[in-house]
Amino acid sequence: MPIEIPKDKWPGKIQSVTIGAAAAEGGTRTKSITIGGQTCMPYLHYEAPMPNRPVIAIEIKSRKPDDWSSLLAEVWGDAMNDPAQWAKKAEEAGADLLVLALTLADSPEDAVKAVKAVLGASGLPLVVWGPGQAEKDNELLVPVAEAAKGEKLVLGICEDKNYRTIVATAMANGHLVQARTPMDVNLSKQLNILISDMGMPHDRIIMDPTTGALGYGIEYGYSVMERLRLAALQGDTMTQQPMMVTPGFEAWKTKESKVGEGVPESWGDWKARAINWETLTAIALVESGADIVVLRHPESVKRVSEAIGELISV
Amino acid sequence: MFIIGENIHIISEKVKEALTNRDREFFMDLAVRQVEAGAKAVDINLGPRKKDWAEVFPWIVETVETVVDVPLSIDTTNVDGMEAALKTIKKAQPILNSTSAEPERLEKVPLLAKKYGAKVIALTMRSEGIPVEADARVNIAVESLIPRMMEIDLPMENLIIDPLVLTVSGCQQYCPHLIETVRTLQYAWDPAPNISVGLSNVSNAVPNDNRPLINRVYLAMLMGVGLQMMIANPFDEKQNDVIRWIETKDTGNPLARVYNKIAERTANSEEPQMEDFDLTDAEQSAIWKTTQILLNKVIYADSYLMN
Repeated sequence: MPIEIPKDKWPGKIQSVTIGAAAAEGGTRTKSITIGGQTCMPYLHYEAPMPNRPVIAIEIKSRKPDDWSSLLAEVWGDAMNDPAQWAKKAEEAGADLLVLALTLADSPEDAVKAVKAVLGASGLPLVVWGPGQAEKDNELLVPVAEAAKGEKLVLGICEDKNYRTIVATAMANGHLVQARTPMDVNLSKQLNILISDMGMPHDRIIMDPTTGALGYGIEYGYSVMERLRLAALQGDTMTQQPMMVTPGFEAWKTKESKVGEGVPESWGDWKARAINWETLTAIALVESGADIVVLRHPESVKRVSEAIGELISV
Repeated sequence: MFIIGENIHIISEKVKEALTNRDREFFMDLAVRQVEAGAKAVDINLGPRKKDWAEVFPWIVETVETVVDVPLSIDTTNVDGMEAALKTIKKAQPILNSTSAEPERLEKVPLLAKKYGAKVIALTMRSEGIPVEADARVNIAVESLIPRMMEIDLPMENLIIDPLVLTVSGCQQYCPHLIETVRTLQYAWDPAPNISVGLSNVSNAVPNDNRPLINRVYLAMLMGVGLQMMIANPFDEKQNDVIRWIETKDTGNPLARVYNKIAERTANSEEPQMEDFDLTDAEQSAIWKTTQILLNKVIYADSYLMN
């Protein structure tokens, strides 16, 4: 008996967003990346083709972090002391784009230098994060945005308490912004409205609805992303931004990933567990509609990349 | 519309200060002005008053009854305080606000209503919380609240069911279900139970500028499904306009037409349509957007009117 599969036809479409500019577009990237553009829920190929595959960013820092797991220090080695080296290794590890996180210890000159070094070492599109304190973020991101004018960076992280300066400098210098809100559909939409209201075009906003790691609230994050995507497809223009989430950051702060000693033996091998945690967190989020996942361990990148390959193959 | 005036509420700084000073004039004035503005009863919510209930409840009742004759709604979780108020009330039949389906409250509060011949507001809420679905809330009324009143032989006309309005900011999915609950509850029993809601809860946590609009649009929808009683702010003149327009089917101006249309659509189990509104008019456009968030069609955001 033939079975007819019911198909949804949605009125809305996810905004396409292009990150990074090659020479022809006024930048120096070897290629740009386009995300978004979907017209159906994730991976329902029988409803509509997936115009752009989800991409993987690797997070590196301007200075060697002292609070990262020793498993990460082991795999990245000395490259962690030099953002340019780290960027090269991350590209080799299969990153589609890079996230460079600046730190509180950086001066504006340090920040510009680190960004230029990374742009020089790798041709991948780049996201730059401030250290996460409003005043310092603005102090570092404005000179970075000016120094990298035309590269179509993504500047982050805009939050409801601090977005104006970052959005203004992104608009003035041809960059994009990452808009983060605590896991809540109403707040995600609100920040998109506020940023759009400043005059930022929709094709330069990526929303970050925040997530939790496996076992630490991922189901809530998953539901929020799913609900945002449904609203977007129903035609709500202020929820149609592509989504970027940080499973690497979330997974590597869980006890299961962080701690190798003093845990039940049944938890098994530490390294295998830690990588599984990051991988599973990321894949669940990709399935809920994430367009960019930011990871930390090269092995997770390899596995998530394989999973994405399977999901997008028709 | 039977409005229970909500303004004597401890959440207001002025009320708090007046209570601290036992300022009789303040409370008398606030009660009189609410009744003059159209309130048919006056709610009194001074909190549980765990320490001074024995003095405060009789004091406030005596103060307010000095100047108004309408029913007082004793709004507290403190059952002893409720009884102290009931003993003092001399004028109209009081309202107890409230019981729920939580066992302890459902045990005690209806008995007080019975003993003093009061009406009682009963919330469709169990110990586990407030269900989203309309059916589940109606079930609480039919399976717990109404049977309890019958058990103690409290006349049905003394029962007022409150199906619990929740805010569009954070509990948006509850908003359309509440409308259906109000619609269905009227057919859930014979005689139909009285229904009341706390209207302004729908805009809790919404920026103040947008609250009255959300309240008005929701009110039009609820009047469409037959709401006849609510705890609300009787001083809200634009809200009073909406009530009058819908009650008298006055369509003499564009806004009156729009609010009547919303009520009519909701009454017919239809959704308001874009063509019901003149979207070139800023106010009508705002009303249209508000219908969409209240029906959970468009995700709420504080700046939804800019969307």
